[in-house]
Amino acid sequence: MVRFKHRYLLCEVVSDDSRCRLSLDDRVLVGLGRDTTARVHGTFGAAACSVGFAVRYLNAYTGIVLLLCRKEFYQPLWSALPFITYLENKGHRYPCFFNTLHVGGTIRTCQKFLIQYNRRQLLILLQKCTDEGEREAIQKAVTRSSLLEEEESAEEELSDSAGEATKATE
Amino acid sequence: MSNAKERKHAKKMRNQPTNVTLSSGFVADKYVKHHNGGGKPFQRKKQEPHLGTSRQRSVKMSPQLSSEPDVNEQSSSKIMFKKKGGWKAGPEGTSQEIPKYITASTFAQARAAEISAMLKAVTQKSSNSLVFQTLPRHMRRRAMSHNIKRLPRQLQEIAQKEAEKAVHQKKEHSKNKCHKARRCHINRTLAFNHRQRKNIWLETHIWHAKRFHMVKKWGYCLGERPTVKSHRACYRAMTNLCLLQDMSYYCCLELKGQEEEILKALSQMCSIDAGLTFAAVHCLSGKRQGSVVLYRANKYPREMLGPVSFIWKSERTPSDTSENRQLWIWLHPTLKQDILDEIKAVCLCLEPIESSVCIPNPLLTPAQEKSQTGPDDEKISKKRKRKDYQDAKSVKKLIGDGTRDPSQPRSWVSSATGITVSHSIVAKGVLVFQGEADTEETPHHWWIDSCKSSDSVSLHQRQEAVFQLLGGISSPAEIPAGTILGLTVGDPRVNLPQKWSKALPDPERFQDNEKVRQLLLEGVPVECTHSFIWNQDICKSVTENKISDQDLNRMRSELLVPGSQLVLGPRESKIPILLIQQPGKVTGEDRVGWGSGWDVLLPKGWGMAFWIPFIYRGARVGGLKETTVHSQYKRAPNIPADFPDCLAGSRVAKEQAKDLLEMYKRRPPAKRPNYVKLGTVTPFYCPWEQLTQEWESRVQAQEASEASAPGGKESDAPVPGKIHQPSHEASREPEEGNERVLDQDASEKLVTATGSQLCVLRNRKLLKQLSVWCGPSSKDRRTPCRGHQDLTREACLSILAHFPRALVWVSLSLLRKGSPEPHTMICVPTKEDLLQLGQDQHYCGPQESRHSDPFKSMILKAKEKKKMAKKQNQGATSSEALAPGAPATGQEALTLGLWSGPLPEVTTHCSRTLLGFVTQGDFSMAVGCGEALGFVSVTGLLDMLASQPATTRGLVLLRPPASLQYRFARMAIEV
Repeated sequence: MVRFKHRYLLCEVVSDDSRCRLSLDDRVLVGLGRDTTARVHGTFGAAACSVGFAVRYLNAYTGIVLLLCRKEFYQPLWSALPFITYLENKGHRYPCFFNTLHVGGTIRTCQKFLIQYNRRQLLILLQKCTDEGEREAIQKAVTRSSLLEEEESAEEELSDSAGEATKATE
Repeated sequence: MSNAKERKHAKKMRNQPTNVTLSSGFVADKYVKHHNGGGKPFQRKKQEPHLGTSRQRSVKMSPQLSSEPDVNEQSSSKIMFKKKGGWKAGPEGTSQEIPKYITASTFAQARAAEISAMLKAVTQKSSNSLVFQTLPRHMRRRAMSHNIKRLPRQLQEIAQKEAEKAVHQKKEHSKNKCHKARRCHINRTLAFNHRQRKNIWLETHIWHAKRFHMVKKWGYCLGERPTVKSHRACYRAMTNLCLLQDMSYYCCLELKGQEEEILKALSQMCSIDAGLTFAAVHCLSGKRQGSVVLYRANKYPREMLGPVSFIWKSERTPSDTSENRQLWIWLHPTLKQDILDEIKAVCLCLEPIESSVCIPNPLLTPAQEKSQTGPDDEKISKKRKRKDYQDAKSVKKLIGDGTRDPSQPRSWVSSATGITVSHSIVAKGVLVFQGEADTEETPHHWWIDSCKSSDSVSLHQRQEAVFQLLGGISSPAEIPAGTILGLTVGDPRVNLPQKWSKALPDPERFQDNEKVRQLLLEGVPVECTHSFIWNQDICKSVTENKISDQDLNRMRSELLVPGSQLVLGPRESKIPILLIQQPGKVTGEDRVGWGSGWDVLLPKGWGMAFWIPFIYRGARVGGLKETTVHSQYKRAPNIPADFPDCLAGSRVAKEQAKDLLEMYKRRPPAKRPNYVKLGTVTPFYCPWEQLTQEWESRVQAQEASEASAPGGKESDAPVPGKIHQPSHEASREPEEGNERVLDQDASEKLVTATGSQLCVLRNRKLLKQLSVWCGPSSKDRRTPCRGHQDLTREACLSILAHFPRALVWVSLSLLRKGSPEPHTMICVPTKEDLLQLGQDQHYCGPQESRHSDPFKSMILKAKEKKKMAKKQNQGATSSEALAPGAPATGQEALTLGLWSGPLPEVTTHCSRTLLGFVTQGDFSMAVGCGEALGFVSVTGLLDMLASQPATTRGLVLLRPPASLQYRFARMAIEV
């Protein structure tokens, strides 16, 4: 097919300040990404990333962000992400950093990765949990997510080959 | 973004998870209306906590701390996974506090929700593709599209669901037979017969269906126009070559009986005023074809039934006049029922007879039939009508009620031959069979029988000679109009040319031929009009003994020298045919004889056998559209659309109006003309009744005002001229008043009798008079013939008294620009218009000022009302809300851009007075300017002519329904 090829960067916003999550917004994120790329890579980098740069999905509760950019110029953006140290909104700065979880060619592979990742996180949480009430709540969440597992396992086989998945470490 | 694009995008994204921000949940319940806005309410909300609470928080942190986890938990626990894949914060998420701490359970909840959202996005296919299209290429198999088992097992279920959708389902073959069986001849014939139950096919149907846009009309399947681009080519064929048309949808009524009886009966139905009748000498002898307009019995100027053409069978010997004569009446299928009923009534046929006669048994010989119907007739007449016993005994037969009888001849008009060629095509395509008295056994007994008598052989030779001579004339228009020539010809398929070629005349061959000149002068002799086609028995045997195409081709393939002439010898069919000359354009002064040609009448079943040879000789085939064009260029009214006074005509007009309205409504309101603003009251039909009525009342009102005005002037004005006129009138009053009263009485009686029906003026004398008056200036020409009066009030009044509500057929040619279209309005120019035209050579014509549209606001109001009603219905379901809804739906019949409700006065609706309407109009390639044909009100016409100066008499204005521009046109009445 003739189309623009993209790269999707699945990131996690890690912040100590809970107010940071409040100000998580697509416009803020777009501005932040562009500014940082300009700072790190200069005008060329900023221009290269600004075409087709968008936020496809964000979840303030979990801090998951899915960024989109053209395949040819995703590296300037990717390399600029570690240089984001704070989130600025309305004159307030909240220290935070971006943790890139996954770089994929389609939204679908990113979504699949996210499912895996979240599940793993839940299990870790369950292991480390000490409080009884919380343990129950987590268990409920785990069972809820695993109920859908049967469907999902069918899906996994379907197109694992679709995206070239490069797992990024922090 | 366009709407469709948006929808497509929405469909694609319907399963994708939406963004989840902390603000979205909050906003969702506070600003319900701005649900989608996201950005704006977010900002507004933002200001509150930051300006107001940020400082508070830093101070009052500790007291809140205790309560906060609970609130937080509450709010986050209410985060639900929405079905659409989005997130939604519960209504309890009213806490404006930012979650300060993340507890493990909230964290887990959020993760779980996200997992499920993502799962949904991943598992559910949101694109338009089929299941197997989502597979990677190396896993795809060709058979997957139809065989589900070829798919991976996990996908089979989804694929099953998909396959059950109607779109992907294969079309069921309803037939239980295989393709080959279906194509087998018998089954095909059955299928064809099944398919023409409602609309009968012509013999050339399959040929036409491959090359024409077919329409179902009048109970037949007819070719409307060729699929190839051929407007101009057809015009050229009409003028120079030959245009071929299958006219076998025309119906034929056969009348048999004694000559006087038939004439007596039919004379009630036509009038000598409107031209020649059935009793015209030439036609009665069987030498010529005649055409006549039929009316209901004894109702001459009104209640028209339709135009027909007729041929009498010639008598073999002039002595035996007592012999039963045969009359064929050809008519359009739309007119058939009315005319048939009327003829039945006129001929005093009784119902039961008709049923027995009209569906003739093909096994009966004519003699038997006659003998059978004779007693039948008597019996019934005895039973029912003793008085008419004598009448009923003279058997009149009606044949042709069944749409096509087996013995019915078929006719083709190769009209337009304009010139030679068609005619040479006829000459070459049909080779006259050489009659030889062959005693060998052949199926064609009748031919052998007839060949036995030397009389018929000599007749055949004479017919052949005449036919050869016809090749010498350059145009069929040269010989007398309606000439009939009977022939017996051989099978045209045998000498079919190898290649398509144009048959061109060779006038050299016949130059200075005495005989040709004699033919032109005298026409075809009466004996030569005899043809065996009149004999049903012979026609039947000819049809039955036709060699099928298959056999003929087989014989051809068995020839020793491939491609050589096939000689069938005595087995060759001999086909009786009848050639009838079509006069072409007979009215008017220019292009006389344009579009003349020949009708060829063939026995049943021989249609395709003659059709193909004609085409191979260079004829071009036209459809119904070409018929219309032909009649338009001939300036002849088109049957049946141009006969507004007959039933079929009004029916056709109604249908056309319905179709046009539908077409109009199909376009968006902004893309169609607003006829109300253009001042066109009736863009889709012509309100003849109202037009004539209004003109009648207008003229009456004028008369009344004039009658009162001169009375006043007579008393005081000393001007001699003015006194003279009234006095003159006054002196005449005693006699003329009586006359007029009588006239009026008579006309009133007529009007009351016919129920104020309009009529079309067909009285030739009056038409001639009108055409003289219409001329540009009567002084330019030589003084009109003695019979013609000058255009005076008295003459007008005498016409008007007889025809108060009459229309007259006029032809219009535009002076300068413009090409009229059907339903164009014919208007009376004002004095200023004519003055300006005289001064300025390039003056195109006046413009109509834009009208206001009173209906637009009504429509808008109705719309709003409807909206309101809808809202009320939605908001509070109450019976009150339904009440205003009902009138709104009633008013919905209003269409934007069309006049609704009762029509206003059509004549005075625009700035120029309306005179009539155009029924056919286009750019005429024959003349090279726009030409139109239509009807105008006689009353209005006379009124206009009287007021116009002699130099510009006959000038009118034309305005198409979708334009404001008037154009000048010259009117002419051609007789």
